[in-house]
Amino acid sequence: MSGQIVTRIVESFAQLFLLVALAPLVTGVIRTLKARLQTRRGPSIFQPYRDLYKLFRKGMVIPETASWIFAATPWIAFFSTILAGLMIPMVAADAPLGLFGGVLAVIYLLGLGRFFLALSGLDTGSSFGGIGSSREMTISALAEPAMMLAIFTVAIGAGSTGLTEIAGAAIGQTWRFLAPAQMFAFAALALVLIAETGRIPVDNPATHLELTMIHEAMILEYSGPYLALVEWAASIKQLVLMTLLINCFWPVGLQPLWFGFGALIGIVWLLAKLLLLSCAIVLIETVNAKMRLFRVPELLAVAFTLGSLALVSTFLF
Amino acid sequence: MLMKPFLDMQFGERIITLMAALVLVLQIAVVAQRWIVTHIRIFAIQSFLLAMIAATIAWFNHAPHIYIAAGMTLVVKVILVPIFLERLVVRMEIREEIKPIINVPLSVMISGGLTLLGYVVAESFFKPDEPGLGHNELAVAISLFLIGFFTMINRRKALTQVLALLSLENGLFLAAISLTYGMPLIVELGILFDVLVAAMVLGILVYRIRETFESMDVSLLRRLRG
Repeated sequence: MSGQIVTRIVESFAQLFLLVALAPLVTGVIRTLKARLQTRRGPSIFQPYRDLYKLFRKGMVIPETASWIFAATPWIAFFSTILAGLMIPMVAADAPLGLFGGVLAVIYLLGLGRFFLALSGLDTGSSFGGIGSSREMTISALAEPAMMLAIFTVAIGAGSTGLTEIAGAAIGQTWRFLAPAQMFAFAALALVLIAETGRIPVDNPATHLELTMIHEAMILEYSGPYLALVEWAASIKQLVLMTLLINCFWPVGLQPLWFGFGALIGIVWLLAKLLLLSCAIVLIETVNAKMRLFRVPELLAVAFTLGSLALVSTFLF
Repeated sequence: MLMKPFLDMQFGERIITLMAALVLVLQIAVVAQRWIVTHIRIFAIQSFLLAMIAATIAWFNHAPHIYIAAGMTLVVKVILVPIFLERLVVRMEIREEIKPIINVPLSVMISGGLTLLGYVVAESFFKPDEPGLGHNELAVAISLFLIGFFTMINRRKALTQVLALLSLENGLFLAAISLTYGMPLIVELGILFDVLVAAMVLGILVYRIRETFESMDVSLLRRLRG
């Protein structure tokens, strides 16, 4: 029994390291690929690490009007995202903290981080922060039902909301992806991924115009180490959602256990799949223009309809 | 060994179901679409998928006459009609967005509901012991049909209504090909010819409506013009 606990702890630390170390790289790769596609040279793929390092060494400016929420938010956002990340299967089908909660826990841990970010946007009393919070909550309120429906579709297929079981069931069947229900759910979850990570048709992560910002407006008041934590949390959240998407629907190369040589193969597969998904995201970002905010509900309505079609078609097919 | 999955009927059915699902997604995308040129292109892709479905059915059932139907669909609905409609758009200099009567999120939800209705209706036709394709294709076909009707009602401009009519016809084609593995060739040819002529006649009609009323808004047609 105690041996099992030890392996759990080792697994957790391995995945923790992978999450924390890999997340800025994914952000960097997406940025560089996007720059290359726009025939710019772009920064090195390791630029996000340098940014984080620089931010951690800088001083902080905290607004006089800010309360304890402002100081607590970066920590809560960072740790809730990491905790969510430990509950998903990354390299092995067996999620390290899978026994503490399934996919619902993951969604609500991410929701907790977002809730506190929105609070901190309101906390300083700056009007841009307020706009950002209000927009972020609007979008997440629309994206969450679509995400739930898509995830439930997968969960029904696996007979459990535990991500370990979902990934295990996904490994078993090779042609499962061809089922229409799976495809609808995948499309819905991909749209939600774009909305939740603040990618281009919904939000522009590189914008400098406050009026069009969503996520960036919310964290406008942060600087120094706190900003580093918030940005790190955002890139980890992106990695968590991307991993969730690829491992639920495309579990090729997912290992049954964490040990030995298998883990290495699992990591290589994970990196390859992440690269492929990043390429898809970059393509979507490059060929689309940012939507007007009032058009975003249309996109999410499509995601919601796809999600409900997915759920319904699991019963009908 | 490599050819083995390509002879297995189960595999073929999977692929056909997948393509049918894609056709349905495209139909819902049409409802959410605001640009007429994109609408025409989605119609072309949808028709292309239909032609592929027909070809797949022909391959797995060894029914060479369906290839002709697939080829004709490819020529007429993927190439001729979209080119004709796009030229019409260029000639009429349409630049504004499509303005549906019911707003887009609600329209998309309604389309989802209509899909459900399509499934419920198709369920009653389904007999597990009879050979033939599953009820999925029929359900998708009925949904295409219903959503096509809904889009026609939901749009004001004559050209978008023509497009909705064409995608409605796609639903009919899918129903025919998935239920009966293709109608007699002569019927198929007649329908395709009909579609081509209808698209052209309607195109000319749309042009005339615009010339006379200086707009394609069909709600203006209530007034008499001398």
